Amino acid sequence: MEFLNVALMGGLAAVASPIIIHLLHRRKVKRLDWGGQRFLLELLARNRRRLLLEEVLLLLVRVLVLGLLALALTRPALKRRNVLRPDVVTRYGRTAAVLLVDDSLSTGSGRTQMAIEEIKRLATAYLNTLAPGDEVSIVLQSQLHGPAADPLFDLEAAKALVAQLRPTAMASDVAALLEAGRAQLSRHINPGGELVLVSDGRRDGWRPEERSRWDEVRQQLRGAPDATQGSRQRPNLLLLSPAAADPEGNLAVTGLRLDRTLVTAKRPVGLRAELTWHGRSAPPQGSVRFLVNGRAIGGKSFTLPAAGKQEVGLTHTFDEPGSYVVQAQLEGTHDSLPLDDQRCLAIQVETAVPVLLVEGRAAGGLQGSLGFLAAALDPEGLGRGPFRLTRISAPQLTEALLQAHRVIVLGDVPALASDMLAALERHVVGGGGVLVGLGAQTDPSLINRFWARAGTGFLPAPLRDLQSPAAAATIGQVNEAHPVFNAFGARAGEVWKDGKIRRYFRLDLGQVPAGELERILSLENGDPLVVERRRGVGLAALITSSLNSQWNELPLLPAYVPAMRGIVGHLGSFVLPPRNLAPGERLTFTAFATNQTVKAEGPTTTVPLSTGVWEGRPALISEPLLEPGPYSLRQGNQVFRYAVSVAPAESELTPLPEAALRSCLGELAAHHFTQAEQVTKALGSSKRSSVELWRWCLGGCLGMLFLETFLTRREGRT
Amino acid sequence: MSVRLPEEVLQKLERVSITARHAVESVLTGLHRSVRRGLSVEFAGHREYLPGDDLRHLDWFVWARSDRYDVRQYEEETKLRATLVVDASGSMGYRSGALSKLDYARALAAAMGFLMVRQADSIGLVTCDTRIRAELPPASTMGHYLNLLEVLEQAQPGGETSLADVLDSLAARLTRRGLVILLTDAFDDVTKLTKSLHLLRHRKQDVRLFQIIDPAEQDFPFHGMIEFVGLEREPRLRLDADRIRERYQAIFAEHQRRLAEGCHAVGVTRDLCRTSEDLAWVLVRAFNEEA
Repeated sequence: MEFLNVALMGGLAAVASPIIIHLLHRRKVKRLDWGGQRFLLELLARNRRRLLLEEVLLLLVRVLVLGLLALALTRPALKRRNVLRPDVVTRYGRTAAVLLVDDSLSTGSGRTQMAIEEIKRLATAYLNTLAPGDEVSIVLQSQLHGPAADPLFDLEAAKALVAQLRPTAMASDVAALLEAGRAQLSRHINPGGELVLVSDGRRDGWRPEERSRWDEVRQQLRGAPDATQGSRQRPNLLLLSPAAADPEGNLAVTGLRLDRTLVTAKRPVGLRAELTWHGRSAPPQGSVRFLVNGRAIGGKSFTLPAAGKQEVGLTHTFDEPGSYVVQAQLEGTHDSLPLDDQRCLAIQVETAVPVLLVEGRAAGGLQGSLGFLAAALDPEGLGRGPFRLTRISAPQLTEALLQAHRVIVLGDVPALASDMLAALERHVVGGGGVLVGLGAQTDPSLINRFWARAGTGFLPAPLRDLQSPAAAATIGQVNEAHPVFNAFGARAGEVWKDGKIRRYFRLDLGQVPAGELERILSLENGDPLVVERRRGVGLAALITSSLNSQWNELPLLPAYVPAMRGIVGHLGSFVLPPRNLAPGERLTFTAFATNQTVKAEGPTTTVPLSTGVWEGRPALISEPLLEPGPYSLRQGNQVFRYAVSVAPAESELTPLPEAALRSCLGELAAHHFTQAEQVTKALGSSKRSSVELWRWCLGGCLGMLFLETFLTRREGRT
Repeated sequence: MSVRLPEEVLQKLERVSITARHAVESVLTGLHRSVRRGLSVEFAGHREYLPGDDLRHLDWFVWARSDRYDVRQYEEETKLRATLVVDASGSMGYRSGALSKLDYARALAAAMGFLMVRQADSIGLVTCDTRIRAELPPASTMGHYLNLLEVLEQAQPGGETSLADVLDSLAARLTRRGLVILLTDAFDDVTKLTKSLHLLRHRKQDVRLFQIIDPAEQDFPFHGMIEFVGLEREPRLRLDADRIRERYQAIFAEHQRRLAEGCHAVGVTRDLCRTSEDLAWVLVRAFNEEA
């Protein structure tokens, strides 16, 4: 027995109303001193059983009237198993279907016909197997971040929605889709449950390597152990995707970066685009055109090697500080996925970044705790470079100085006054950058107590013991992908091999939540040397040794200057709210003036903005951005530029291997269909294998009503 | 013809019930029928002469006509001896209007008592429930009547109804011919009551039963759930009045029918009085019927 409108099951509580009325009626008793009690006693002696029977019978009939009516509304159905066709998907009662549609970037692939068209066909074929009374939700990959939609009973409307599907820039995440579908099922009321994943069958988004995540997904899909397979508690899982075929070749711009973290006006900066070829055939030739704010600044032709990856770039000088979008666009290539043939990068070009150097041991020139760093950031000492330095001793630190600088560097500072410490934390949490270097004056107990506070302070991690190895430690691991090494290009890993570290503090990583601490440089023994951690919306970096040559020989390396410029530039360059966005993220703008109109434009359309809050500040926020490319936001004469870039993994159009599918789904039973005809054959024939009982319930209800009338009248007569 | 009642008596009557005073005044001023005639005993008749009988009592007219020696059986030469039996059981305490059944019975007894005393008839009083509570032997003086009113005034409802037992014990004591006037709701076992009435009749007592009921006891005008608390220590009952009305009325009507039949069978006149009825009208109706 199943109930097709389980949500109305609560109506069964109405059966209690006659009993409640009866009990209330009995409680509302008037007391009467009565002379003819003997007649009542005689009456009871003669009729007690009959009166009781009639009372119970009438109560029962009234309960049944309401109970049967409520039961009819829940639409009970007797399931009838389709034993003759074990190969088809078993359904009973009305179906609650959640259509999980992958409309990620890869569904736009295909030279003659995009994969999304086949997805639409499969989805429509599935919808055709549903009947009136079935309900369906359509959950799109591109709308996972939005609010869940209500299920539709109008199947034609669902088909119209499917017909309007088009590829978006979103990265595919099948596990997230399945989780969302499982959650969406709880919004349905029909008893039968089906999760239908309609995808292009590409490997991207499945991520079989994320085993623990798939364990959780399988656990959710498995549902209650005692639930029937095919019920909403344990839904059927259907995979609809086109048959796996050899992927067509796809050339993509999978990266776009600058050779420095801090871009300043009138200083040349290198733009580098990474091109990747996914395909078995020979890579095509072509050219990359670079554009700044939509205007071409140059191009580079390329011939990809067999490895399939190549960087091409050029140098450009921004004349004025401001907000820019750099684009790298493929030309002369006709591959199967045009949406990844371009890539954008939003850049804030500065005049100079104000940096405050706070020394624990103050001295001039290369002396002092931060002498080498000052020389690296401003070799001439004239303040004409990208960094405008202010160099003070620790006691000179004031809150006004903190507010006037974007990056604060603490070199061998033993302690800070409590009000300065509070001001520094506010500076970091509010979006500033801080770099901390240690030294002889470092007292780990003080630092841990006030700066680290067991992982909750502004310092990235608490300190452990001071290490002074007999043989100086060397740098072993370099996070080459980190933007601080942009200037090193592919040589980031090589330039540190001569670096000797004589003394350093080990870090107490156990007190830092996993994943929050990013290592930039590590020693050969695995101890971190340079780490960073986001604090609020700001960034804090820590070098576990000194920033001068007191404990290491880093300042003597040629890499010291670009690395320090990279780190400080990184700490002072990031713009808040972020302007380089992934598909699905929202354009956010906090520096708006209430007396000026703000207008946002996307690559093809205007982007509506609404007021909201970002990190506690009032902000203008857009809907999730689904189209890759440059976006701009105008406020009066000012223009702020944003960029939405697709995930590089989406460009790899490799079909999902059966083994990978099995690895993800494990023991879960899934019905896999590759053609619309298969869907119709398997699902169309197993429809309605149950008998609905609401008519019987309604008939019974009417019968009970007649009986109630009869009993009431009969009682009146007697 | 109007009769002026002594003020003391009227005041006493008023204490029993104002309706008693009005009833008496109505009867005396409007109808003025002989209570004796209305409530007179039966003719005594003749019996065969037995040795030792007083020869003065031989009925010579009978001897002359039929050559039989019959002795004339004389009625008591003095007055009518009437005994008012007022049921003061718990059920008589019920009232749905201004008067309880006991109030009504007291008023009726006082009115009838006064009318009889005024005719120089002897009137006695018994108040009872399961047993005799108070008893005044018959007498015909006004002073006695005042005592009777005192006793009536003191009668309070209580105890269970067992009129039959009371009548049985009363019958044993009533050796002389007389009139027994029962003022009761007769909420008793009809069979037992009928037997007791029959015994009274057997003891040469004229019996007149005034059955006093409250209108609500007949009409059962209640609605909803009611907890009925018996006035004679019966168990309490919680019943839906609407559901049982028809059945109750049927049982009550059956009781009335059986009582009426029982009374008729043993030669007892039964008057049904509803406490809502005018007392004077009840008296007038009763005496008219007798007349």
